[in-house]
Amino acid sequence: MGGLEKKKYQRGSATNYITRNKARKKLQLSLPDFRRLCILKGIYPHEPKHKKKVNKGSTAARTFYLLKDIKFLLHEPIVNKFREYKVFVRKLRKAYGKSEWSTVERLKDNKPSYKLDHIVKERYPTFIDALRDLDDALSMCFLFSTFPRTGKCHVQIIQLCRRLSVEFLNYVIASRSLRKVFLSIKGIYYQAEVLGQPITWITPYAFAHDHPTDVDYRVMATFTEFYTTLLGFVNFRLYHSLNLLYPPKIEGQSEVELKPTEGEAYAMDSESYLEKLSALSASLARVVAPTPEDDVEMDEFPVEGETAEQMDARKKEQEVLEKQKKLFEGLRFFLNREVPREPLAFIIRCFGGQVSWDKSLCIGATYDVSDPSITHQIVDRPRLEQQVVGRYYLQPQWVFDSVNAKLCLPVADYFPGVLLPPHLSPFVTEQEGDYIPPEKLKLLAMQRGENAGEESEEEEEEEEEDDNDDDDEEEEEEEDDSEKEEETKLKKMEEQKTQSKALPVKVTAGKVRLEDKQRLEQEQQSEEKRLAIMMMKKREKYLYKKIMFGKKRKVREANKLAEKRKAHDTAIKEEKKKNKKARRA
Amino acid sequence: MAAPAAAPFLGLGPASRPPAASRPRARGRRHRKKGWKRWAGPEARLGREIGDFLEDVALQQRAAGGLIAEKPDESLFFVDTGDAEKDRKLNGGKEKPLRIDLILQPDSKVSAPKDILAHQIPNGKKEKRKRQLWERLAEKGVLPRRERLLRARLQREPPAATGSKVLEPGRVDPARSFYDIWAENNPLERALAGQDGWFLEQTKKQRVKRPARLRKKPSEAPAVEVIAAGGSYNPTFEDHQALLLRAHEVELRKQKAEEKVERQLGFPTAAEAPTAETLFREECEGLLEESDEEGEGPSPEEPGEPLRAGPTAAAPRKEKKTEQQRRREKEARALAARRLREKAARCRRQELFRLRSLRLQVTRWEAELLRRRQLRQAKRRERDALPRRLGRLRYEAPSLEVQLSDELPESLRALKPEGSVLRDRFKSLQRRNLIEPRERAKFKRKYRLKYVEKRAFREVTL
Repeated sequence: MGGLEKKKYQRGSATNYITRNKARKKLQLSLPDFRRLCILKGIYPHEPKHKKKVNKGSTAARTFYLLKDIKFLLHEPIVNKFREYKVFVRKLRKAYGKSEWSTVERLKDNKPSYKLDHIVKERYPTFIDALRDLDDALSMCFLFSTFPRTGKCHVQIIQLCRRLSVEFLNYVIASRSLRKVFLSIKGIYYQAEVLGQPITWITPYAFAHDHPTDVDYRVMATFTEFYTTLLGFVNFRLYHSLNLLYPPKIEGQSEVELKPTEGEAYAMDSESYLEKLSALSASLARVVAPTPEDDVEMDEFPVEGETAEQMDARKKEQEVLEKQKKLFEGLRFFLNREVPREPLAFIIRCFGGQVSWDKSLCIGATYDVSDPSITHQIVDRPRLEQQVVGRYYLQPQWVFDSVNAKLCLPVADYFPGVLLPPHLSPFVTEQEGDYIPPEKLKLLAMQRGENAGEESEEEEEEEEEDDNDDDDEEEEEEEDDSEKEEETKLKKMEEQKTQSKALPVKVTAGKVRLEDKQRLEQEQQSEEKRLAIMMMKKREKYLYKKIMFGKKRKVREANKLAEKRKAHDTAIKEEKKKNKKARRA
Repeated sequence: MAAPAAAPFLGLGPASRPPAASRPRARGRRHRKKGWKRWAGPEARLGREIGDFLEDVALQQRAAGGLIAEKPDESLFFVDTGDAEKDRKLNGGKEKPLRIDLILQPDSKVSAPKDILAHQIPNGKKEKRKRQLWERLAEKGVLPRRERLLRARLQREPPAATGSKVLEPGRVDPARSFYDIWAENNPLERALAGQDGWFLEQTKKQRVKRPARLRKKPSEAPAVEVIAAGGSYNPTFEDHQALLLRAHEVELRKQKAEEKVERQLGFPTAAEAPTAETLFREECEGLLEESDEEGEGPSPEEPGEPLRAGPTAAAPRKEKKTEQQRRREKEARALAARRLREKAARCRRQELFRLRSLRLQVTRWEAELLRRRQLRQAKRRERDALPRRLGRLRYEAPSLEVQLSDELPESLRALKPEGSVLRDRFKSLQRRNLIEPRERAKFKRKYRLKYVEKRAFREVTL
């Protein structure tokens, strides 16, 4: 046979991977620097398939990187900057130790710094790539901008994050691209659609900080450092896509500048610009002033392979979207001081509403409480001492729910002191056959426009606001009605699901005549279906049966949940009644 | 001549001494005994100073014929009027050329050859013509290359030209500016635009292209995972129950694991400790009952059969086969082989008519392969969805954020936020395999601390 003896671990996967420590030595960097470099460049560790082969026979768990990745890192100019910085720190420390203050000054003047612009361009060659990765960047920036300036991280980072996040919020307002909001116990989730890309981010509640100790702040700061650069460039591009000035300017700023005394109470001159911007109450200046008759309808060209139905559906979707964008147009809101100002102002402005707050609460208030043109006042306290006629007093949840429902919900459920309906998550999409809670069913019906009856009821309610007892009874009746509807609906659904197996057998004579055509059509359809099932191959039939079984099971589970809910509701109602009786007695 | 000579001369007054002399002189080396004795102490210093002084006086007398301080000014200085003729007169024609200079004067009758090169500029004509050409070109507006480059640099970065002290705003400066990085001519690539890519790469002016494999994200998980519907601040009853159930299950699992560890580590009490009797019973566990059951069964018969069958099968063949036997066996073998062959041939012929069933078989086999492939893929997808093991530690999912039914707020104002967004982001990064899970570096003391009571404390007695 002959030939040289093949040595172990010199080919194959053993040479494709490199341990972290070796990589660090190859790059001549310290571990924190190496970690930072990897994060900035987007190089992540790998788990090899055969650990023992890669690890030269040892099974110890280690962190591995691809060798090619590390070789790629060798070309990065930032590596040199890291080394320079290391030397700089050493020199500075020495100068401090020797108390050579002039040297310290000189060194500080020549502090080596680096920029991440080229890395942003390298990691996101197109703008759309950057948009797709914006979720992380936004969440991180919003998070860091809420940090206290206590030295957990650099103050500059916090300020930059604040600036960038405010700029992005202003863009969302200007483009009206917010779609969903969800108030969770953790924070507020938002979803916006920017240039066709859904972008989701989470913001913490104000003042909700406990600093967890099991989080590596250095790693987070490094991620943020990169994401701020990314977000800055994205913001620039987004502003220019809307013909807005960047850095953003508030529209009619010259007027504001004429009377600087107004903002003096809040911030210094240098800071008041950002503060005014973050108030979110003013619109931004554009490069070219928009003409009012700019909304010329676009010519629509059918996409290839699209049927007329699909096009119709698309058109309808578009219309709904347009309508949603103008949800709060013409409404004037006033925020009381106990409601979270920033999220509410942001959301209201995103849908075209006007918003103001108490002048002592924050900079940028545009009108006073006593303004008669206010239509909605957002309050979050159990009772109000004096109310102004001509405006609705509502709890903040109304705004969020209206946005998610894509229509202005009836206000009666959201009056101060009233037990609120549940806040549903807009991120949950039910599949067919899933259990849908009755609240959501009601909402869906309203969205379809079947709220004619309910509206009249609400009007009645509004008229008879003072007469509480009648109102309650009415509500109960309404609930009963809705329950009956639900039951029938559920039954129907189950029938539809089970149709494949057995035909609806019991048919009352009267009903048959009433909907003869429908019935016949249905029968024919089910007959066709049955025949199709008969014609199926054995394997397919087996699969089909399985699918149907699964569906049925789902429906069964949904029914069970509905029953549970009903029991819960009745229990609550009985309790209510008891309470009422007790109160009367 | 007077100026260099002035330094060693000393004035007589105490103030006229040079400051260096008044300072105590640096002492000599003291690491030997010799160094200690010699010229040390104030007397020695005084002696040294007097010696210096006397030497100086002697020098003055030698050079100027008396102490310089006592001489009249006229003998020391002359008036410089700035007029050569007048000066010569005033100074009494003292300015004769030195004799040595006279000796060194050239006295040859033949004049020295003229140095032509001293008056000539090399390539003068050419340079002149060049200069004229550039002047003419400058009138037309064409500048030389160096000038052009200089002006371009000036135009490109005016701040760098004016003062280098002003630093560029860094990456974390809150007031830093941004530009359109995805535009056609962005400042990042403007310098290299329009040049040959190969050339740029070879001369290391362009960065190495990012490999395509890095464009794939290490995990399919979304960046921001929205909390379940039960995590709403005002959830529906069902959603909240579902979330509670999930949290409950997690908690149960944790508790079970804890209990298991406790059970394994716990030492039994005296009451639970095994006695001799229980130990014996434990040893006999299963033995007694087994014998009871098998006593009735077919146990006596079973061992009989192998006994009978064993020896016959294993018995060695003793007798040799006869010729006849061998022949018959051979014939039988040949016959069987022929039959097999024939049968195979017949089958082969028949296969032609079995095409349909063959096709069925093939399709079945293919379907089976497809099923297996799908199974494999599903398994792989499932594995990919899990976080990888990237380091010494495994990823630990964060505990579910949940609020109990009585913790749920009445209104938004009363909401007490649960969990931390910071931790959520951090865990999400780990979950998506972007960073490896680590634990905080622990402080480890190398040496045992030694406590010493301060003396002041020790002296206090109560």
